[in-house]
Amino acid sequence: MSLLSTIKKLLPFFVLLVFLLLPSAGASTDVIRLLFATFVWTITSVAWNLVGGFTGQTSFGFAVFYGLGAYTAGLMINAGHNPYFAFPAAAAVGLLASFLVGLPAFRLRGPYFAIATIGLTEAVRVIMSNLKITGGASGLSIVEHRAFQQTEHYYSALLALAMAVGISVLIADSRFGLALRAIRQDEDAAADIGVNPYRSKLWIHGIAAALTGIAGALHARYAVFVDPSGGPGGVFAFQTGISILLMPVIGGIGTIWGPVLGGAIFGIVEEELVVRFPNVHLLLYGILLILIILLEPDGLVGLLRKIFRRSSWKFLQSKD
Amino acid sequence: MTLQDLLDPLIAALLLAGVYAAMSAGMTIVYGVMKIVNLAHAGVMMLGAYFAYELFERFHLDPLISAVLALPVFFAFGMAVHWLLVRWLPRSDQPTLASLLLMFGFWLVLQNVASLIWKNEDRSINTSYTLESWRFGDIAISKVRLAVFIAAVLSIVILQIGLRRSWFGKSIRAVIQNPYAAQIVGVDYDRTARLTFGLGTAFSGFAGVLLSMLYSFSPDFGRPFLLRSFVIIVLGGLESFSGVALGAVVLAMVETWSIQIPGVEASYQPAISYGLLVVVLLVLPKGIAGLLERRWRTG
Repeated sequence: MSLLSTIKKLLPFFVLLVFLLLPSAGASTDVIRLLFATFVWTITSVAWNLVGGFTGQTSFGFAVFYGLGAYTAGLMINAGHNPYFAFPAAAAVGLLASFLVGLPAFRLRGPYFAIATIGLTEAVRVIMSNLKITGGASGLSIVEHRAFQQTEHYYSALLALAMAVGISVLIADSRFGLALRAIRQDEDAAADIGVNPYRSKLWIHGIAAALTGIAGALHARYAVFVDPSGGPGGVFAFQTGISILLMPVIGGIGTIWGPVLGGAIFGIVEEELVVRFPNVHLLLYGILLILIILLEPDGLVGLLRKIFRRSSWKFLQSKD
Repeated sequence: MTLQDLLDPLIAALLLAGVYAAMSAGMTIVYGVMKIVNLAHAGVMMLGAYFAYELFERFHLDPLISAVLALPVFFAFGMAVHWLLVRWLPRSDQPTLASLLLMFGFWLVLQNVASLIWKNEDRSINTSYTLESWRFGDIAISKVRLAVFIAAVLSIVILQIGLRRSWFGKSIRAVIQNPYAAQIVGVDYDRTARLTFGLGTAFSGFAGVLLSMLYSFSPDFGRPFLLRSFVIIVLGGLESFSGVALGAVVLAMVETWSIQIPGVEASYQPAISYGLLVVVLLVLPKGIAGLLERRWRTG
């Protein structure tokens, strides 16, 4: 038993080690590109889960933070700043934007909050694709005065992902995490026992938005172009917000490893399938979403949990 | 500023409000009875548009006739969707996230099946009278817009009479007011819910046909109108049918006049209506109807 639990504790570090060694082990540029994209998606998935999973506030609006992070990084790199200075800046802009969204929207509960986030995303997209500073509807090209090094991008994304998962683990085990779970289960009861739901929601939303901003910045720096359009690939697109929401739902909302699993599956499917069958992937996600909601609301992790119920794979279980 | 400058936008807004009210009616009724925020509404409106398109291209059927045909077709479709998906959702007095995500998944399916069938390019329906208009002195009224307005208003009037007079309409209103009391006095909740979902879907499809006469459409067609429907039903106080009419007029006015504000480019206009959604959710949680009601009670 104790050996098993040690293995379970060490498994994430082992996986991290494998990913750290992968580039030097001679993985092809295609594999590295795929992993990079998957890491970036998974960061947003883990971030969304903080708000949508732990706290139970469904947001359709994470594309706002992703897009703002991408633009912040793009504009700062174009202005000649060090990209590693651009990432914290993207996080800061994400945090600020989260307050702009959250201060009004968290006055609303549950589905009303969700609807408000749809309205806000669309409004931001319309404004951003009209502003002069962002290059308007034609997008923003990013010129970095450094040689392109794929492994550098890879490692920065891996570190950001490790940080996101670390934050997720820390919050889940903390007093703050307990408060968030209390809010998810019953907001009024949580308020009665001394949790300030409004403030807690604002902060967790801010942390999630900062992480999503970093993901947007990583994406923009690698892609050297930011597309504000509403179509697929546009950072502010409604579909980007949907993708961010789909990953944790597929993996299992409210758990720590569910969003990681969902992000990994989504990233690989997205990067490989989209090229070959455009359109079909969203159809697949729609069907998957319906099946998960109706049959297994706890996602893939819930399914795994059922399979391994007899054994003691407790690390898959959420902390309710 | 001449009288015409004032009248033209007013008429445009009123004509627009008709179809806005028709498209929001379906959402309101589903929300009222089942407390489901029906995101698939957007997908059904898009299907309605393609329904009219196919009938027009293949059989040269006037979209106004398609609109009438759409009602039974989409009613059956809605009942099927309810039987297949919606009825498995746990019942709740509050809108649940599961229902939101389920309808959202269904919307994704509709949208992408449509883009497999019809591809992603924009389509439009050009009837013989699409570009014609009637002139009354200085004021010109587009024939299509007037026809759409009349069809929309007629549909709402018929819906309203049906809700007031028929047994089914009364059971819908009873469930909206109090689902438990309604069941005690013998309303079959499941049957009412099924028929309501059919009726709501029928109205979405009908509104989709009407909208296809005014705008070009693609498989992504419904999204802006879904957001507008939100604004309208929230303005209207979520469960009230007269509120929907009022909300439709307010939104149409705001949209029509926001173009004329100096310094604001027309491309920013959607941001104004989406911003309105958030403001209304915050400031008027019971909608304009709720506000008037409160004033009337206290004053």
